Amino acid sequence: MLGRFPAFVLALAILVCANGLVQSEEWKADGFVNTRYTISGTGDRNNPLWRQLDAPFDGDELFVRMRLRYDAETLDTPVDGDGEFVVLWLDSVEGTPGSTHSAGVPNIGIHTLENENRFMIRYQSSGQKFGPVLEGDREYLVVGRIWKSKPGPDEPFDKLDLWVDPANDAENSPVASVSDSKALKIVSWIGFSTGRKTEFGDRIEVHDIATAATWHEILKLPPPAEPVEPVVPPPVVKTVAFVDDVFPLLKKHCFECHAGDDPDSGVRLDVLDEMVNQTSPRDAAASHLYQLLANGEMPPEEKQPLTKPELEVIAAWINEGMEWDETLLPTPVPQSTHWAFQPVIPPEVPQVQNTDWIRTPVDAFIAAKHEEAGLVPNPAADTATLNRRLSLDMLGLPPEQGTDPLHVDELLKNPAYGERWGRHWLDVARWAESNGHQHNRERKYAWPYRDWVINAFNSGMPFDQFLRDQIAGDVVRPFSGDHLVATGFLAAARYSGNELDKEIQRNDILSDVTNTTASAFLGLTMECAQCHTHKFDPISIRDYYKFQAFFANGQPGNAALELNPEVANAVSERWAIFDSVHARMERVKQKQGVPGPIYITPKSVVGGMKADEKAQFNALEKQIESVPQAWCFVAPEGDTEQVTVTPHDMRWPLPRHSAALSDAQTFLLIRGDVKSKGPAVTPDWPLVLGGEQSDGANTRLQLAEWMTSRENPLTARVWVNRIWQWHFGTGLVETSSDFGTQGTPPTHPELLDFLASELMQRNWDTDHIHRLILNSATYRQSNRFSLANAKIDPDNRLLWRWTPRRLEAEAIRDSILQVSGQLDRQMGGVSVAHDSPRRSVYLKQQRERLPDQQNLFDGTNAASSCSRRRTSTNALQPLWLLNDEFAQEAAGQLAQRSSNVVEAFQTALLRLPTELELEQVSQLADEHGMQSACLVILNSSEFLYLP
Amino acid sequence: MTSMKLNRRTFSLMTGLGAGQLALQSLLAGSATDGRVVPHHPPTAKSVIMLFMSGGPSQVDTFDPKPELEKLAGKDVPESLAARVPKIKRAGLKNLLASPWQFSQYGECGMPVSTLLPETAKHVDKLCLIRSMSHRNPVHGPAECVALTGSGIGNRPSLGAWAIYGLGSETEQLPAFITMNLHTDGMQNPQASGWGPGFLPSRFQSTVVAPDKGIENARMPSGVSNERRQSELEALKLLNQNFYEATQVDELEARIRSYEMAFQMQTTGPELFELSGETAETQKLYAMDRDESKQVGRACLLARRMVQRGVRFVQIRVGGWDAHGNIKGNHERLAARTDAPIAGLLADLERTGLLDSTLVVWGGEFGRTPTMEGRANGRDHSPAAYSMWLAGGGVRAGHIVGETDAIGYTVLDRPVGPLDLHATILHTLGIDSEKLTFDHHGLKETPLGVSGGSVVAEVLG
Repeated sequence: MLGRFPAFVLALAILVCANGLVQSEEWKADGFVNTRYTISGTGDRNNPLWRQLDAPFDGDELFVRMRLRYDAETLDTPVDGDGEFVVLWLDSVEGTPGSTHSAGVPNIGIHTLENENRFMIRYQSSGQKFGPVLEGDREYLVVGRIWKSKPGPDEPFDKLDLWVDPANDAENSPVASVSDSKALKIVSWIGFSTGRKTEFGDRIEVHDIATAATWHEILKLPPPAEPVEPVVPPPVVKTVAFVDDVFPLLKKHCFECHAGDDPDSGVRLDVLDEMVNQTSPRDAAASHLYQLLANGEMPPEEKQPLTKPELEVIAAWINEGMEWDETLLPTPVPQSTHWAFQPVIPPEVPQVQNTDWIRTPVDAFIAAKHEEAGLVPNPAADTATLNRRLSLDMLGLPPEQGTDPLHVDELLKNPAYGERWGRHWLDVARWAESNGHQHNRERKYAWPYRDWVINAFNSGMPFDQFLRDQIAGDVVRPFSGDHLVATGFLAAARYSGNELDKEIQRNDILSDVTNTTASAFLGLTMECAQCHTHKFDPISIRDYYKFQAFFANGQPGNAALELNPEVANAVSERWAIFDSVHARMERVKQKQGVPGPIYITPKSVVGGMKADEKAQFNALEKQIESVPQAWCFVAPEGDTEQVTVTPHDMRWPLPRHSAALSDAQTFLLIRGDVKSKGPAVTPDWPLVLGGEQSDGANTRLQLAEWMTSRENPLTARVWVNRIWQWHFGTGLVETSSDFGTQGTPPTHPELLDFLASELMQRNWDTDHIHRLILNSATYRQSNRFSLANAKIDPDNRLLWRWTPRRLEAEAIRDSILQVSGQLDRQMGGVSVAHDSPRRSVYLKQQRERLPDQQNLFDGTNAASSCSRRRTSTNALQPLWLLNDEFAQEAAGQLAQRSSNVVEAFQTALLRLPTELELEQVSQLADEHGMQSACLVILNSSEFLYLP
Repeated sequence: MTSMKLNRRTFSLMTGLGAGQLALQSLLAGSATDGRVVPHHPPTAKSVIMLFMSGGPSQVDTFDPKPELEKLAGKDVPESLAARVPKIKRAGLKNLLASPWQFSQYGECGMPVSTLLPETAKHVDKLCLIRSMSHRNPVHGPAECVALTGSGIGNRPSLGAWAIYGLGSETEQLPAFITMNLHTDGMQNPQASGWGPGFLPSRFQSTVVAPDKGIENARMPSGVSNERRQSELEALKLLNQNFYEATQVDELEARIRSYEMAFQMQTTGPELFELSGETAETQKLYAMDRDESKQVGRACLLARRMVQRGVRFVQIRVGGWDAHGNIKGNHERLAARTDAPIAGLLADLERTGLLDSTLVVWGGEFGRTPTMEGRANGRDHSPAAYSMWLAGGGVRAGHIVGETDAIGYTVLDRPVGPLDLHATILHTLGIDSEKLTFDHHGLKETPLGVSGGSVVAEVLG
């Protein structure tokens, strides 16, 4: 008899515990069953042995076992359907001795298949599944399980599984399984049936009949250990200490040749970064260094080889993660003479000859170079051209007809300024409204970041705050939704398509965040150092992972923009339902023998909810949706002001246990491979820029402070250079996201430093830089070509004229909408469909499904940070501008607004046509209508270029 | 772009060569600047047709017969083989599944092909089969990026973009790189990086066309006559010429030329997609007479017409090979869509003499496991070993490269990575991938990226 096991309580209410339902001695037997219990047949359907369960059972899962032995002499070899039949059944009703316990009633036993007697399960005779062949005179342990794929007293026992002599670990691999959605929902009776095939003389012994709630109990195994979810790998037990055990060996055997600035063969072993290159992480056997030592190749012949115990110390040290002592063997601070890493020192404004030309100090720097090179700058452009230039450059829209000379301050006050310049920054931030990669799910709440950026420009937010909020807005205190939204910058990383490997998935996001932050604000291309110490820049692989470590405690997600306990509760309730259904479905898959790890998409989980669960779930979803939220980068804080992370539709979401992130450790990854973990690192900025000044407990807030400190040589230079580039098309440093040694040097280094110091001295006021530039003679020059100047400076790098450049995709579309009177100037809010008449910055930015004209006219694809738009010219662009419905419609609208060709010219180009132009375009209007004439004007280079 | 402009401008000033000529070259994506000096060696192919079977066709059910699978069916992967299987997610080691198809040898070369692809099998003497394709990414999206750009991140140029960056266009009247995405239903969304320009200027991206619609906006709106359009373009030329002359910016001259090209494309574009001139026999050759294959058939016939008209790189993506649930049902459906049209393409290229100068490439982003996924008679993703074939364009016909283990799970001999294949494809076009460079933020980028790749010499004739 089954022994007593501790009572087992299932999560959902059941009538009674599944254990021991047949313990009382209440079997009812007829004359065909002897003591315990030999069953014989009657040659007809018969129930020789049955009883009521001690209590009815409608729980979710019930195991039943029996031992069975069939007397060999009475066992018929089935030929032509002859053979044997005996089953154990579980039913809701007692029936009569002649009853057929079938149709939705679990049967577990013996039946014939072709010429063999086999173990069998079924709910009805039409759906039998078979197990192994039955041999006579052999005692079998037969285990059955009935269970509900959806739990609940009103749900059917729709699953039935069979094991015969199971191994202890066979729980998830039954030999046969059947399903029946119409199965009974409660069992009260258990018994045995024989059939027509069972003869009088058959002797079938059954005993040890028992029920239990779990696999372990039914097999009488000790209870399984509580599963522990491994969050972090178990700490490695250190058997060797670096200072006492390893360092002396390295010193004795290696450092004589392989240390200091000029080591033998260039291999230096007194620096951790270089040591890492000679080893394989936590794998001594695969480590080059260890192999050389073990083979006796090193130390060289004349030296003493390492002893076996010494080798063992080295092996243990590598295997245990290569502990290092930075005080004993510090990483040398790289010395760099590269211009961009030197402090910003405000330069003297140069004295020049051409003083009449000077309008702002900017011009002095430009004129000095002109004079040096022998260039004569162009005179100022005419008012109409300048108006168009200022308006298109600052607002992304042509000016209204008949405007007076435009004033910089008015342009800065115009809300269109933020829409235009915000878009510039969104390029750098590789912002979009979907995850990218394979599934490319929508980021429903990404738009608030777009509005935040637009507002930041329109409100004249100082750049240091602009930077700080974007990389640490979630931890700026006091909490404000406005700060939090700004972390959309970090969160704009694409969401890796590596759906199953969470480690890789997270690392891909972190790499994106690290690379983008470094290039956007510091002009450092750090990605090379992800795999190896940078070949050109003084950035080591260690610097890279130390920088990455700043971001390791956070991840992207939707976050509520207010601290509201009700929302937090709704979210946790929502997850509780989700998790319980998920766990249930996972269990179903396990029982069905699906090999682990098992993945169930969130959509399937919602689909697998029962009606009441779904109703509750949907209500909670609705409640959560009503709260203002945004796609942010959030770190768990542990203080009372905990930001609530709201759900996000994602096929393969990142792990939700954000608490685990608070002590997420960053490792140096050898060759960037997430599976090759090197030594652990703490957050810090690159050594060459003054890292390692602290104890390594840096936060993102401190990173922001460091980036915007006056001593940081990069941040201000990079920002003023971007502003310059967005005005002129090319930066003073042409590679505006690469200020490293591989980037181009500045054409006007003093001017760059002048602007950078001005920015910092004026409290990071971007508008001040705009004014210096926009009011300059340099900016206001005409765009006329000059052969004399072109011979000296064909590429206009010294700015002897304004170089016209094609408008960006957005400005092209917006300009066309504006002059045709169709532009809807509504600001902000949820992104709109691509055929909306609103400004292009508001068109839905789903990666891979971007607006047509954005793809055609070199818009950003938001895969990675775009520092500068290119201009390419191809034949598909004219096809769009000529034939697309959008262009045709706009030409028609412009035609309706213009009574003649002259007016259309003035509306679109702010000038009168020349005589020849008037003649030819008027002829077109006469012959083919005004729409035709207007289409030509909208297609003209002049209209599509920043003049 | 500035360095390029500088080169051009300096060049034209020094030589007195008209800037217009150079601008035209840049418009056609064909000027030899920025480290592009091509061909590096005599090409064996002028055009490429990439038949990209998205979702991952199963190697052991198509081109890599494994009789051992029948013996081991239902069993786990033997330990000796399992040890070689890379430890990546989805690499199931339980329950080997025999192929539902038989293999027979075909052609003079005797290359075995399964009964799944009876039509392609007739052309084995044209194929160079690589059985040892291999990479490490088991997820559709990134793997498709790996297969077509060499990196899973999706920010590098596609193979086609590199090809036209290196070679430029042969025609002024059609785009140099055209992509057709078919049967994109299902879980594997097409990856735009697969035909994108990456960090190359956007004129090197592919033009995506629907086979039944043609080039977008190539048709004039109804009511616009040719005569009216010509008048419009004359007036426009006057405006654009004035602006160009005042400012002398090269780009502006390229714009003027772009309108001339666009005008031609209004004729050549629609003409390309007008198939009524093709005989019924030809359409039948491409299996366009059957519902299940007419879409792929149309695309394949269009590919031949494109190549005939000088398009450099044609990419046809057929989605749906993702046979998780039921390998038999899925692959039979996909074979019905593709087998006959692809065989038709090979036959047609041969009879029109185009096969000699056209490289055809077939394969997916990865293969499938020899094991069953779950209990559903399907196979999971497996990038560890898979088959692709090349035909025409000077490849070694009737030849097999590489070898997989007894169950087709891992590569035993001559592993070929996607970048090796790219280097090989570019090689047939006369491009040495190590010499084709693009200056990207000061970094000299090549089609081989950081991870590198090299030409698979065995593929070349």
